Amino acid sequence: MKLRKILALVLALTAITAVALAEFDASRTIAVVSREEGSGTRGAFIELTGIQTKNAEGKDVDNTYIEADFVNGTSLVITTVSQNEYAIGYASLSSVVHNDTVKMVKVNGVEASTENILNNTYPIARPFNVVTKGELTDELAKDFYAFIMSKEGQAVVAEDGLVPVGNDETPSYTASGLKGVVVVGGSTSVAPVMELLGEAYTALNPEVEVDVQSTGSSAGVTGALDGTYMIGMASRALKDSEIEAGALGTAIGIDGIAVIAAPQNPVEDLSLEQVRQIFTGEVTTWDALNK
Amino acid sequence: MRGLFLASACVCILAVGTISAFLLINGLPFFTKYPAGQFILGAEWAPLRDVFGILPMIVGSFYVTLGALLLGAPIGILTAILMSRFASRPVVKIMKPVVALLAGIPSVVYGFFGVMLLVPFVRETFGGTGKSVLVASILLGIMILPTIIQTAEAALNAVPQSYYEGSLALGATHEGSVFRAILPAARPGIISGLVLGIGRAIGETMAIIMVAGNNPRMPGDILKGVRTLTVNVLMEMGYAADLHRESLIATGVVLFIIVMAINFLFSFINRRRVQQ
Repeated sequence: MKLRKILALVLALTAITAVALAEFDASRTIAVVSREEGSGTRGAFIELTGIQTKNAEGKDVDNTYIEADFVNGTSLVITTVSQNEYAIGYASLSSVVHNDTVKMVKVNGVEASTENILNNTYPIARPFNVVTKGELTDELAKDFYAFIMSKEGQAVVAEDGLVPVGNDETPSYTASGLKGVVVVGGSTSVAPVMELLGEAYTALNPEVEVDVQSTGSSAGVTGALDGTYMIGMASRALKDSEIEAGALGTAIGIDGIAVIAAPQNPVEDLSLEQVRQIFTGEVTTWDALNK
Repeated sequence: MRGLFLASACVCILAVGTISAFLLINGLPFFTKYPAGQFILGAEWAPLRDVFGILPMIVGSFYVTLGALLLGAPIGILTAILMSRFASRPVVKIMKPVVALLAGIPSVVYGFFGVMLLVPFVRETFGGTGKSVLVASILLGIMILPTIIQTAEAALNAVPQSYYEGSLALGATHEGSVFRAILPAARPGIISGLVLGIGRAIGETMAIIMVAGNNPRMPGDILKGVRTLTVNVLMEMGYAADLHRESLIATGVVLFIIVMAINFLFSFINRRRVQQ
């Protein structure tokens, strides 16, 4: 009895290895790996790839393929994809870039990299902007802004997983010793990194309080224009109408999302449209992609 | 000394009371903002549009539990019969700690076993992604084995020896006596073991989230994914805000009520057994 069990197990393991070593079978189903509802990465990804559409009532609809494998964490996406050569997933660029277990797929022929995000060629990326009404005049807001753009502030941005906009010539920040409250408001996606920036700033200037309100990008721009917020936040580029009204947007960091597959998967390059088709379930097998 | 006993008992009662109160206080306000009927009977889960229907998760929970029972019940009961009536003493001496060990394995380890071995196996054998009702049921079936085996074995051992001897005296074989005389007599105990197993299966989260695919739609195909109530809460709690977050706590309330109902069923069966 025991011997038979062991034999069966050995057989099963050999079968698995044999199949794993076999050629990539493009007629197989694409195993789509998605994050869970509410994840910021998912929110950005579906918005940038067109998976998110608006319905007749003007509400956002998330068309992510319902048969996808839903996992709740960046590292889980990476493990799941790395174990299945037929899988595809997405994760924040910063968490994939030093990971050898998965490869990044080019999108529209462009490799996901810090350079390509900074020169605006990689499509699945969006700037995190701070919005002001013209040049800042308030001393305190100016100082906080200077901190965000300093070496120290950009380090916080990078630590949060964003591509920082600073370079080697970015100046260092020195505490000003000012007092008061900085009111910042807007995008819910930018808010977490802004809270971190606020904490780091308060650590240097203990008498300043940074009040971060997450209300949405549009509210952030409006708030900056009408003076509700000293500094607004927007997780998208500013619209022409907003710029005409006097809004000045500055990127504090860029959020890049890489499309990932297992190293054995032959896919190298997908168009943005193909990415959309895969993640909405319009295309379900690997060979259907090339038609 | 008596005070110490009383204090210990109070801690237990306080824990149950606080948890119940917490769930109800935090979960019930959701139903003032979202109709309970649409919540429990709604088949669509789309938090982005504020659509919260947990029927797929309720069905999913029962689906994988049923699958676990189909697998765990026969294996568990037959193992218990072996340990109670067929196996020699040394074999039982080995089996008992093995079963106890099975109960002691943390669920995340079961999850790893599932995701590393069962999921690739099912993917290569049957196609699809491998994360499926099938794998979740197999995993849960194994996880509820110790509960079923231990309760059933105790019930079988408790059957008076005279039943067995009487059956033999009437000319029945050993197998016949075990299956026709002892097994029916132990039935209430075995059933309560199954109910306990159901309770364990329906409440399991960590192992399931790793192997079930977690698709928020009506489950069907056993080779496709499924989302259970427990997974729904754990999966989205991290980033959920406002109404979405409240809907997850309300999911917890529904789960709590289901588990309570199962426990009542369990004590009802037990009470009937005592009466018999």
